[in-house]
Amino acid sequence: MSIVALATEGSTYEPPGVPDFWQPLIGEGAFAITRASIVIILSVALISWLLLAGTKRMAVVPNRKQAATEVTYGLVRDGVGRDIIGSKEFLRFVPMLFTLFCLIIVNNVFSVVPFIQFPTMSRVAFPAALAVFVFVVYHWIGIRKHGFFGYWKSLVPPGLPVALIPYIFILELITDLFTRPVTLALRLFGNMFAGHLLLVLFIGGGEYMIQHGALGIKIAGIGSLGMGFVMTVFEILVQVLQAYIFTLLTAIYIAGALADEH
Amino acid sequence: MPSQPPPPTPAGDPDEVPGLEAHQAWRAFAYLLSGPLVYGGLGWLLDGWFGTEFLLPVGIVGGMGLSLYLIWFRYGTH
Repeated sequence: MSIVALATEGSTYEPPGVPDFWQPLIGEGAFAITRASIVIILSVALISWLLLAGTKRMAVVPNRKQAATEVTYGLVRDGVGRDIIGSKEFLRFVPMLFTLFCLIIVNNVFSVVPFIQFPTMSRVAFPAALAVFVFVVYHWIGIRKHGFFGYWKSLVPPGLPVALIPYIFILELITDLFTRPVTLALRLFGNMFAGHLLLVLFIGGGEYMIQHGALGIKIAGIGSLGMGFVMTVFEILVQVLQAYIFTLLTAIYIAGALADEH
Repeated sequence: MPSQPPPPTPAGDPDEVPGLEAHQAWRAFAYLLSGPLVYGGLGWLLDGWFGTEFLLPVGIVGGMGLSLYLIWFRYGTH
């Protein structure tokens, strides 16, 4: 009955989908400046401003901005860098890890900031570019540490039955060259994409039901908006978590490349 | 940022990489994806080439088996 009531209203509800994520603002086609481009530029400006403000007039007893900056930096430096890569070599990777963490977390949380409301990482090119960068870094330091042939030779564990070596080597190669960078990018992309889709569905759908539905539908619409609120809170958790996981995995890949055995 | 004191060096093996266990866990996960992907894909290609239909499932199952074997060999035996 309710579906019929909706259908006879005359207007139709279009559920959110992939096209909602393509929002060119200036120009069109491959070189358009999209909403995601604007958001990431905005995030870089915001991060720069926050970090400059947080490190200006530094004191032994920090003010609020300095304390917040130090806590974030400490989390990445000690919680990710030192704990994963080890105290001997971690320091030179901390700027990279901190940059990745700040960039991803700000862009993710922008997804629920009013008026911005767009997760940059829901366009797959952004996490893919970050993953390519991480990919180059961890192979590069691995090759520098073990030598070019030594690095690839260390892929095959010693003591393997000879008949299996070529099959295992292909498996290891694809894991290193394909699976790990691709899962790194897709994990971030998928979480941001699906999360944003859910929010648009619950909030946009709820709004539509309240505006166009019969009484019962209107009540359901209020429920949908409530669910949208719950999901927003949940999404903030996911956004922070995904930024952390991306940074953590970068550190883990680096640790693996530095280790004597993969 | 005030100059940070140098991090304390943990006792024990200086070459030890503390993140190695996490590295192995994530790598095992990557193996489980790679095996079926690579050998399933290879089976699919060969299926297209020979006009058969059984090589794709054989590749997926075989690849999974190879992944499991590799994880057991690497992290289970020593």
